[in-house]
Amino acid sequence: MIQRKLSIILENKPGALVRVVGLFHQRGYNIESLHVDPVNNLNEYKYVEKNLNIKLNKGEVSHLIIATTVNDNLLRQILRQINKLIDVLIAEEME
Amino acid sequence: MKLAGNDILIQSLIKEGVEYIFGYPGGAALHIYDSIFKQNEMEHILVRHEQGATHAADGYARATGKPGVVLVTSGPGATNAITGIATAFMDSIPMIIISGQVAKHLIGTDAFQETDMIGISRPIVKHSFTVDSAENIPEIVKHAFHIATSGRPGPVVIDVPKDTTAPDKLFDFVYPEKVNIRSYNPPINPEKEQIERAVEAILDAEKPVIYAGGGAINSNASEELLLLNKILDFPVTNTLMGLGIYPATHERFLGMLGMHGTYQANMAMHNADLIIAVGARFDDRITNTPSLFAPNAKIIHLDVDHSSVSKIIEANIAVFGQVKNSLTEIIKSLETKKELIDSKKISHWKKQISEWQSQHGLNHEMYLNENDDNPIMPQAVVQHIYNITKGNAYITSDVGQHQMFAAQYYHFDEPRKWINSGGLGTMGFGLPAAMGVKLAFPNEEVVCITGEGSIQMCIQELSTCTQYDLPIKIININNEALGMVKQWQDMNYGGRHSASTYQSSLPNFVELVESYGHVGIKIEKNSDLKNGLKKAFMQKDKLVFVDVYVDPSEHVYPMLVAPNGSLKDMWLDKETKT
Ligand SMILES: Cc1ncc(C[n+]2csc(CCOP(=O)(O)OP(=O)(O)O)c2C)c(N)n1
Ligand SMILES: [Mg+2]
Repeated sequence: MIQRKLSIILENKPGALVRVVGLFHQRGYNIESLHVDPVNNLNEYKYVEKNLNIKLNKGEVSHLIIATTVNDNLLRQILRQINKLIDVLIAEEME
Repeated sequence: MKLAGNDILIQSLIKEGVEYIFGYPGGAALHIYDSIFKQNEMEHILVRHEQGATHAADGYARATGKPGVVLVTSGPGATNAITGIATAFMDSIPMIIISGQVAKHLIGTDAFQETDMIGISRPIVKHSFTVDSAENIPEIVKHAFHIATSGRPGPVVIDVPKDTTAPDKLFDFVYPEKVNIRSYNPPINPEKEQIERAVEAILDAEKPVIYAGGGAINSNASEELLLLNKILDFPVTNTLMGLGIYPATHERFLGMLGMHGTYQANMAMHNADLIIAVGARFDDRITNTPSLFAPNAKIIHLDVDHSSVSKIIEANIAVFGQVKNSLTEIIKSLETKKELIDSKKISHWKKQISEWQSQHGLNHEMYLNENDDNPIMPQAVVQHIYNITKGNAYITSDVGQHQMFAAQYYHFDEPRKWINSGGLGTMGFGLPAAMGVKLAFPNEEVVCITGEGSIQMCIQELSTCTQYDLPIKIININNEALGMVKQWQDMNYGGRHSASTYQSSLPNFVELVESYGHVGIKIEKNSDLKNGLKKAFMQKDKLVFVDVYVDPSEHVYPMLVAPNGSLKDMWLDKETKT
């Protein structure tokens, strides 16, 4: 198993982050590192707007990066579960 | 229109078409309760314990398909609701739980009856909201109902700090007509390509089984399933949660599968070359050991929830979308390929399945034994209930052996009539759930098949039934033990009955229910069983509690052999293993 980085775009509002973090705990996955910032440089996030056909405003969403060590199957499962969270716009493995 | 927060909340619920709200008052919810008092479009049902409110709302939701609504106060009111929220969550039932909360300025101060309801409920809700201001209540309610009822349904908590419902501050009330949550887009229609792949596999199959679960009921897909099988004539099995989605009296129905599934259903799944999973999630009561599950089967999995597919059993063909729509697309495609459907291809398979059925199928004629030298068999009780109600009743159940006997022996021909806690397995569910069903369908027969263990977990709701005049029938299959626990102890712990019997401490149930104003009937002899039950069902306007003493040594069979067994490994009775 190798360490993977997950890139997650979520609504920047109270309670959104803890749902993602809580999911890791509930399902028994370990978080090895975690970094979160509000998205201010919208140019880098055009893909979010394009994928979801929406318009973002500065600071409206956060970019969360989580590192965890899992196999392929588990990674797919984690991503599906994170994507299911209502406040998550996009969750994917980082290139 | 200008309204205060409490009225805005109640008017929003009315806009959502809420008929009943199940709840229990307390300090943090009193503004809201005052608004309830001032209107008459929605009826509040006062339960006797908040757990009862959640199960009643849950029963209402399962029977009607509409979301159940619960109102509780902060602190203990909220925590008492947790078991019922988790029950709804595990079975994907749409529910809205409104919990009072201490005023915003008190949050985080350990104020009187303050609990972090959002935190406590987070792992067992589909989503939750905290009301930050009365102005936002309409939008929050709209979002909550949309989330609870769409995609894979589930419970949604709205935590309401007391100050946001204060009667003295007025706001404009406009209820939103449309809802759009940009980060929430559950799949609706399947992809064409996946449908074509599924159809190809279906046309190839020689040993197919359709395996339908609760998701098919949530998606209201019973007509589509029937239509599909008019074309295919495949064998069909249902999960505990799926009973009724395919008519149990249909020739192709195999019965329930899994832990206590029928021999033919489990054998068909194990030996299949194609499994079409329709809104079912391959949980551990179904698969037995996953690595040994259906070794030769290709899996087509129809589901609305991405995370349910290939979670335990890898799907060869995944079809995401409302399963109703996915089935419709499969039917459409098959209709253009009628000449490719060769019913002879599966005739050998059908013959094999009827052989399995005649070898070790369930005995549906146990009710014929009226000999008083034999104890009453629990299966016979269910069979009599089926005969008396002509298979038309709503049946709620609790958890244990009685639940499995009900699932095995009451033949459900329609969806939403079998109401039980499958995922969480919550004892205490049956009686309050029956109240919710009876309120939704006052002219229908509603029967709670329970055990003397389970019924005592929410027995206080007998009082609610008196207050709102709910003439349900409660059949207590009394084996004087926590029967299912005892069965496991018999089979796996050398018969050591640790904490599974009551040592003569059971109440006199007849006197107990009479003290609530209901009718009680006690049955102890085989020869009294049929007439005793008939007498109970004749009393249309009364809640009748029938306390039936059954054979305490009886076990539920078949039962999957675990650990390390597959679906073909079953106990068929106390001595025989497959
Ligand atoms: C709230 C809760 N606690 C414990 C259990 C574990 N449990 C499962 S079945 C069972 C026995 C149920 O006894 P009873 O209601 O009399 O049903 P029986 O099996 O005897 O038909 C128990 C304790 C449970 N499912 N739910
Ligand atoms: Mg019992």
